Amino acid sequence: MIVKRINQMRHKFISLALCVVMLLAIKIASAQMEQSIERRKDTPTAEEILHQSDLSRNGWESYTVITSIKNYVDEELKDEGSFEVSMKGADKTLVKFLNADVKGQYLLMLDDAMWIYMPNTRKPIRITPLQRLMGNASNGDVARTRYADDYAATLKREQVIDGVSCYMLELMAKREGATYQRIEYWVAKENLWPKKAEIYLTSGKHYKTIIYDKYRLISDRVLLSQMTILDALREGRTTIMTFTGYTQRDIPAKYFNKDYLEKLR
Amino acid sequence: MTRLLHLMIVWHTVLFAVPAIHAQPLQTGFSFVDEGTYNKINTTTPLNYDNRILPQPTFGQMGTASLSLGYSVFSGSLGFTAVTNNLSKPEYDYRIRELSADISVTDEINLLIGKNILKWGTGYAFNPTGVVEPQRSPSDPSDRLNQNDGRTLLSLTAYHEKSSLTFVYLNDARVVNSTLYWGTNEYAIRANTFLSGFDISLIGYYKQSDRLECGANFSYVIGDQLELHGECLVKTGSSYQYHRIITTDNEKQIFISDPYMTLYDNSKRIFYKALFGGQYTFNNGVNLALEYYHNAEGLSSQEWNRWMNFVKFQDAIQKGTIIVPPEMVEPSRLNLLWSLKTFSPRGTMRDYFFARGFYSTESWSFEAICFMNANDMSTVLVPSVTRRVSENCSLYVRYTAYLGRDGSEFGSLFTTTALNLGIGVQL
Repeated sequence: MIVKRINQMRHKFISLALCVVMLLAIKIASAQMEQSIERRKDTPTAEEILHQSDLSRNGWESYTVITSIKNYVDEELKDEGSFEVSMKGADKTLVKFLNADVKGQYLLMLDDAMWIYMPNTRKPIRITPLQRLMGNASNGDVARTRYADDYAATLKREQVIDGVSCYMLELMAKREGATYQRIEYWVAKENLWPKKAEIYLTSGKHYKTIIYDKYRLISDRVLLSQMTILDALREGRTTIMTFTGYTQRDIPAKYFNKDYLEKLR
Repeated sequence: MTRLLHLMIVWHTVLFAVPAIHAQPLQTGFSFVDEGTYNKINTTTPLNYDNRILPQPTFGQMGTASLSLGYSVFSGSLGFTAVTNNLSKPEYDYRIRELSADISVTDEINLLIGKNILKWGTGYAFNPTGVVEPQRSPSDPSDRLNQNDGRTLLSLTAYHEKSSLTFVYLNDARVVNSTLYWGTNEYAIRANTFLSGFDISLIGYYKQSDRLECGANFSYVIGDQLELHGECLVKTGSSYQYHRIITTDNEKQIFISDPYMTLYDNSKRIFYKALFGGQYTFNNGVNLALEYYHNAEGLSSQEWNRWMNFVKFQDAIQKGTIIVPPEMVEPSRLNLLWSLKTFSPRGTMRDYFFARGFYSTESWSFEAICFMNANDMSTVLVPSVTRRVSENCSLYVRYTAYLGRDGSEFGSLFTTTALNLGIGVQL
């Protein structure tokens, strides 16, 4: 009789314990589900991240910025140059060369097409994207800074880079004229500023790494003020690009006409 | 003095044409090139027997300076040149290379008046559609010594999005002894647009008392590394002047007056100049440009041989291997001098190849140019190395070799090699 009573109590206890465990499991699962739903609400899409990150690299719809490039080989300064970069909309960029030896030289980018104007040849010459501006910096590093227009983004994972929690995006060229074919792009979660980019050739070979080093508050927005390009193919070659003098201005459309280049001074 | 008057006339025209000068800082630029040249004389060419017909220096030095100024709508550049060599006294020269006012009539229309360099072609070494541009040499397409000058013109350009339409009136008017002499009227029109990756221009050109020429050019980029371009210019008949010896098999003649004449002035024959080329940039940064050029106004191989046999006949007279009456020796020498008019800096015959390889590092740049006559395979080879000393200064070495068999175009030039050592300064 006593044994029977003990067994009944044991069954009740086990049933109760199972109920408690189930309730706990349901509670934990629902909490996790809520968390997951909440997180999904907070996480922007890859395209949104890319679009937002572009804002910290491009001041306004129409603006000018002074870009300085310094090339180092094994930490020794080998070459430096300054450029006045004027941008209008997503597809028009005009680069004025400021160094004495290339004075009067301009680079014009319209969509995917590029022309270089040199005072001694006195005419715009069509060039290919691979023709470099200076050192590790390709024309696109200076002139094509709206990645959202050139690349399709996929959010791959979240990753901590130098202590900063980042979204890691994979960017694939969606236009023929994009500067690179594939980019692995890290954007800080906190403010959606670009943190790092790894550039890959079509062959899959790592081509260069870009570190977005410094940002500054200009007028009402925070804009990129320095980035470092590390050559992955040739060790020891580094390029530092600094951006100063961001100025919002309405640049006449004809300045971006190829035939107007000879009139610019 | 006449040039100063010319300058004043252009300047006053500009001042009256411009209603207001917008306050803009004065922009200045200065470049200076000093170059020493060592020539090896071609002693076998029939054009210059024993370097006596047109004596060539074995050493020369040339200094050129170019001062450019820009203020508001005005811009101009002055060129100074000093030349000396082992055969003559030093010579100095200055000239107004460009002087113009460029006025924004509206946001989309610009008016340019004055002396200015306009270039319309897409080719690197040859520009058949460059109807308004100064002549230049394919072996020195970048005009390293700033020798190209602008032309006196009035141009009106309308810009819209990626297109432009330009009308140009040219007249190389000159002031001589305080009198203005108008030159021949020339008119040119060009419509340019960018469509589906093609940069396309249509060009029309008419020179008073001559004929209408029509043409087109394009450029197109494939992928990241390859650029293609082409040009074509067509006309009916030609006012080009040929040596009359090219029409006959009897080259043993001595002319007593200038033997050049137009052969196709009233002809209905279609003459065209065409260029096709491209450039490729390798992953390591080496840039290679190749071009093929055809000029239907150039001499055929048969015409060249007739002319060359004529030159050899005169050369033999000068050497005394062919005996003529003594009073014919001097006219024969004059015939040799006149014969030089056949040479064109842009090629005398019909088909040419051009190749250029270029590579640069932070401090050095290397260039090699090859300009080949595809009819007789004679070639001009120009390798050069430039050392960038600082942002403002560079040193360069340039070697030119004229290669070709006897009687070929480049094998007949006055020098066989030339070595240039130079320094360039830009401020």
